[in-house]
Amino acid sequence: MAAKVVWRAIAVLIGGLFVYAGAVKIIDPVEFARDIDNYKMLPWQPSVWLALYLPWLEILCGLALITRILFRGAVFIVTGLMIVFIVASIVAKARGLDVSCGCFGHASQHLNFTWHLVLDFLLLGGLLLLWRRPLTAR
Amino acid sequence: MKPLLRQSAALLALALLPALVEAFYLRDKVPWQSRVADSQFVEVATARSWGDNALWIDARPTDEFERDHVPGAVSLNEDRWSEGLAQFMGTQWTPQKKIVVYCSAASCNLAEDVARRLREEAKLPNEIRILKGGWEAWQQK
Repeated sequence: MAAKVVWRAIAVLIGGLFVYAGAVKIIDPVEFARDIDNYKMLPWQPSVWLALYLPWLEILCGLALITRILFRGAVFIVTGLMIVFIVASIVAKARGLDVSCGCFGHASQHLNFTWHLVLDFLLLGGLLLLWRRPLTAR
Repeated sequence: MKPLLRQSAALLALALLPALVEAFYLRDKVPWQSRVADSQFVEVATARSWGDNALWIDARPTDEFERDHVPGAVSLNEDRWSEGLAQFMGTQWTPQKKIVVYCSAASCNLAEDVARRLREEAKLPNEIRILKGGWEAWQQK
């Protein structure tokens, strides 16, 4: 029972974070496109399309984690996104790029690299727990 | 494994719908071709030819500005925006002059961010341009 409650709490917390992260970026997709472009990994046009698409994917996955509809698919996608975010951040840092991750729109622009990574790894840890769904949970 | 892939594909496809609607809705507001329009840049030679009709803003970090900068330039970067903007407005700004913003090189985005904030937040009426190639290009000419 306790495992189920913890498992649900993690799912709702991560789901809520992704809904929030997606919502703040939908407001200004051009700003988010600039954040993606700052990583210098993609040309401008794919960055714009990604900036229009990713926030909606984050919101849908977040809602899926909260409601448990399409749950496994959401855990799979969000885990993949987190791994991509972490690798992109480390590569950008290694290349000497001082970029704002843009993860939570303007709210994250003052998040330094260390805290950015700590947050990312905490989320990744939570997601790995969600892969091990308790037997009592639906 | 199959339900996992099916669910993932469903989510990926579902997200595409609102994204396409948003892309259509914002089609005139999104700079599709490039991050900054070519018309917002100015070549070093052109900017130099403006002489006293141009105000120069150095958007690089303050320590880089203190090492060296374009003669007459004012330091204005995101780290000390309010203080730098007040200093610029109080000492140099006039509405008639063009403003040239630069950062370290063609690959930096600091000048673009400062130029945008001058237009959108400070609402300066001046013609504001970004120096093509930045400080690196200035030194080579």
